Amino acid sequence: MGEHEPSGIFEKTFDGLLGQDIYFWNFIILMIFTLAEVGAVFFVGIPLNVVWAILIGVGIVKGYGIAAYFMHLKGDPRIYTRTALFPVLFVLLMLWGIGLSNPDGVDALPGWCKPSWDYATNR
Amino acid sequence: MSGGEAHVENIIWMRAVVWGGVFLVLGVLAFATMGVGVANVKHHDYEDALHAYDEAKEVYYDAKNAYELAEGDNNTTAAELSALKTAKENAETAYKDAHDDEIEAHLSYLTWRTAGVTILLMCITYAAFLALGGFVNSIQPSDDHGHDDHHYGGDDHEHHGSGSPIVFSLGIMLFLMGFPKFQAVLGNMLSGEEFMLGDLGVSMIGLTVITLGIANWWREDLPFIGNGEQIATSAPFEGQHIRKAGLWVFIMSEIMVFASFFSSYLRMRTGWCTKWSYDEGTCREFPNMVINSHEEHPDFVMTASDYLRPDGAAGTGDFWTLLPGAVNTFALIISSYTIVLALKTAKAKNWEAPKGALGKLMPTQKAAVRNYLLATFLLGSMFIVLKLIEWSHLVAEGFTIGTQAGSIFYISTGAHGLHVFVGLLVMLYLVFKADTVGYDENNGQGIEYFGLYWHFVDLAWVVIFPAFYLY
Repeated sequence: MGEHEPSGIFEKTFDGLLGQDIYFWNFIILMIFTLAEVGAVFFVGIPLNVVWAILIGVGIVKGYGIAAYFMHLKGDPRIYTRTALFPVLFVLLMLWGIGLSNPDGVDALPGWCKPSWDYATNR
Repeated sequence: MSGGEAHVENIIWMRAVVWGGVFLVLGVLAFATMGVGVANVKHHDYEDALHAYDEAKEVYYDAKNAYELAEGDNNTTAAELSALKTAKENAETAYKDAHDDEIEAHLSYLTWRTAGVTILLMCITYAAFLALGGFVNSIQPSDDHGHDDHHYGGDDHEHHGSGSPIVFSLGIMLFLMGFPKFQAVLGNMLSGEEFMLGDLGVSMIGLTVITLGIANWWREDLPFIGNGEQIATSAPFEGQHIRKAGLWVFIMSEIMVFASFFSSYLRMRTGWCTKWSYDEGTCREFPNMVINSHEEHPDFVMTASDYLRPDGAAGTGDFWTLLPGAVNTFALIISSYTIVLALKTAKAKNWEAPKGALGKLMPTQKAAVRNYLLATFLLGSMFIVLKLIEWSHLVAEGFTIGTQAGSIFYISTGAHGLHVFVGLLVMLYLVFKADTVGYDENNGQGIEYFGLYWHFVDLAWVVIFPAFYLY
């Protein structure tokens, strides 16, 4: 966590606001999104699409907040960001090739996000 | 001792042994009060509730039989039948209420019992970890103290590298090699069956090597005050701290571990016919079946969220079943911030004690760093306790590891919990160092590097929580 000059809209807006630094505001925003995430679990009858939107949307915002500010990828040399992002390709491959590849899986997913396993099921 | 390191007296290690004793006492006290005292009271309540349930059940079936008999009897008047029907309905309501009370009493008992036992086991581990590491180091000869292996060719080029992680890894390998027999022996010991003590051998050697590796690692790191941090001399991390680069590569491998759990879960989850997938019209197996509850269709796959969510298909979920997971989510986020505060305080050049009550808690910079780390440690410990309470409730409600949905849930959340627990053990040492040698702007990177791991654990929960509790 080295000190650095504020950059980007978020940092320029929040760093120093009300006498608090960027880590404090990042924490507040993470808490608000966590509240939304936890709140969604308590609500009943949420459609599946909304669940996915919450799951992915909150995940991206919280992931960015933690990685960029708490883990300080924003401000550290780029090599650390590249290191952190290196497994993403493999993760995506695993999610696509394993996670979404169930031949008996739901058919609500569009075809483009499911790998073709016809050769396996037709054999 | 060279001028590049803090002078650490051997006696300082005895403080770790004392801390170990304190943890042991705290664990026993917590177990005695929560796991035995309160839990026994709750168990009596549970037995009373169970007795009341049995009675209510009997009354209900008597009333039901009486009504059915009267219904088939032509001599029964309409007024009598109506009275019997009302009695049956009242008995049914009382029966259901008694059932709910019995479940509630059982879960309440489990909460206290699990909390007490978990805190005891955690404190025993903390105590063993601190006391063994501290003891091994305290009995070392004083003149042998420090980084003798850190001199190259007699010059002053010290470095902060260590061979201890390799020793530690070897210990883990041995422990895991012997683990199948180790757990079988422990199981037999607990159930009073025969066992071969020799079967513990490989794992015990592994544990000994782990202990020595950790103790030596501590001994090398405790005097470190920022001099001799190893710097990478070649691409791609040229000019960067090797420890930091190594930690990021480690995190990279951890991302893959959790990705494998998540993708496995997703593969299974997309194939399950749950109530949600049925309601969404994506359930292939039972396209024309009307399903209102789990009881009506036992083949309906029940996920953790079905048990935990208020509208879950299992019908067991309410505000309280979700609370541990929700509190844990906040606990991890707050603990991520407290460790950032610990690092920020350690690195501060012109630190001033806060005013008011916080100032009394943190009168000096050293105390502030220690207390922020301690707060992180307590939040992490709370996470483990709540996690196991939640597990105990889920198992009691029938969501066991024996099912496919249970298996992936317990393995994924368990692997995450294990990461939290390992982090807590490391944090114990950080608190110890913060209390003895201390952290400042020169050696604060120790907190930073651990913080990276801790934030990653938080990040993993960001994915795990919605995937298992929401979906």
